[in-house]
Amino acid sequence: MHTSSEALDIGERTFIDQVIAGRAGHPGALLGVLEAVQDHNRRKYLPLEVLRYIAAKTGTPLSRVYSVATFYSLFNLDPQGDHTITICSGTACHILGSRNLLQSLRLDLGVDTDGAEEDRVRLTTADGRFTIRTVACFGQCTLAPVVEVDHRICGHVNERTLQREIRTLEGERE
Amino acid sequence: MPPKNVSIRIDGELISAREDQTILEAATASGKHIPTLCHLAGLTPVGACRVCIVEAQGTDRLLPACTTPVHEGMSVTTSSAKLARYRRMTVELLLVERNHVCSVCVSNGHCELQSLATELGVTNVRFAFNYPKLDVDVSHPRYVLDHNRCILCSRCVRVCAELEHAHVWEVRSRGIHSRIVSDLNAKWGEAQSCTNCGKCVQACPTGALAEKGRAVEEMTKSSEKITSLARWRGAEA
Repeated sequence: MHTSSEALDIGERTFIDQVIAGRAGHPGALLGVLEAVQDHNRRKYLPLEVLRYIAAKTGTPLSRVYSVATFYSLFNLDPQGDHTITICSGTACHILGSRNLLQSLRLDLGVDTDGAEEDRVRLTTADGRFTIRTVACFGQCTLAPVVEVDHRICGHVNERTLQREIRTLEGERE
Repeated sequence: MPPKNVSIRIDGELISAREDQTILEAATASGKHIPTLCHLAGLTPVGACRVCIVEAQGTDRLLPACTTPVHEGMSVTTSSAKLARYRRMTVELLLVERNHVCSVCVSNGHCELQSLATELGVTNVRFAFNYPKLDVDVSHPRYVLDHNRCILCSRCVRVCAELEHAHVWEVRSRGIHSRIVSDLNAKWGEAQSCTNCGKCVQACPTGALAEKGRAVEEMTKSSEKITSLARWRGAEA
């Protein structure tokens, strides 16, 4: 485990140590630790070295940590973009064309579709600006098709309004 | 305080069982046969495969015999037309999910999935096959992991954690994307925690985990050794 802790800088290690110490002894502490550590990460993800460090510090088997981190869609193993756009693929949204929205968004942002699992899209643009995700349902079916832009729900979205949202986000940065 | 004895009926026959036993344990102890797949005596039951389902009086739900504890006055049916239909469908769905091509499998003739399908009379599969293109991990010097044959029974996960205490294996992701994974998705040969003991290979019901150098039909396994090891450890403790 010596080499793995060397890959993390001191600040990150101290933070993880504090998080683990704050939750020591609680059953199911791993979930909370992973969540806090991911939230602390600038790119909102859990690099493998971090998982390795958490496993060593908490005495959890590596495979168990990996299993938990891949089971919950909350956790990301890849760096996330500055903005997250989540398209609902639930029944109502699907019927009202969410698949076309996803397709046009991929084309607009130029994201490669290779390697994406059909029912669970999680793609980030090469410049790290946008992440496209899908979700099974937001529970806002009356607003279908629903798209979530940086945790803000947008209802009755069509390709044009989606492009407008993207332009607004791009404008914010410049 | 020793566990109390309870009286239950299995297929109409009055049976005495300890209250800490499961339906499957009580049935096996009295010589009854319930088909199982993910269950391996000696390991913690998880109820993953749903092949051991039984009918119990007072509920419409089918209960997995391997994880349901017995209780006083319980009346259980272990075989009926309905159960046969459900068990057959479970096995059919297992067969379509990955590439279970017996004729080219190292475990052909010694496979628990194959013998279960035979026992349940699965002569054909009514669903479309998935034909996923899955990896075969040959990085370990002695053993092979073929995801195409894996049914995710998690016996390898349990035997490694409970008897070897190495905890090399886990199941990653969810649903159709679930895979057996060692360490942090490492190649098996590079997994630091693996002790090369081979218990997972012996526990595996199919040809997913096998010894290298075995040709078709050559991979015989002895899962009963896992059971006796677990008994011996239990008696020792």
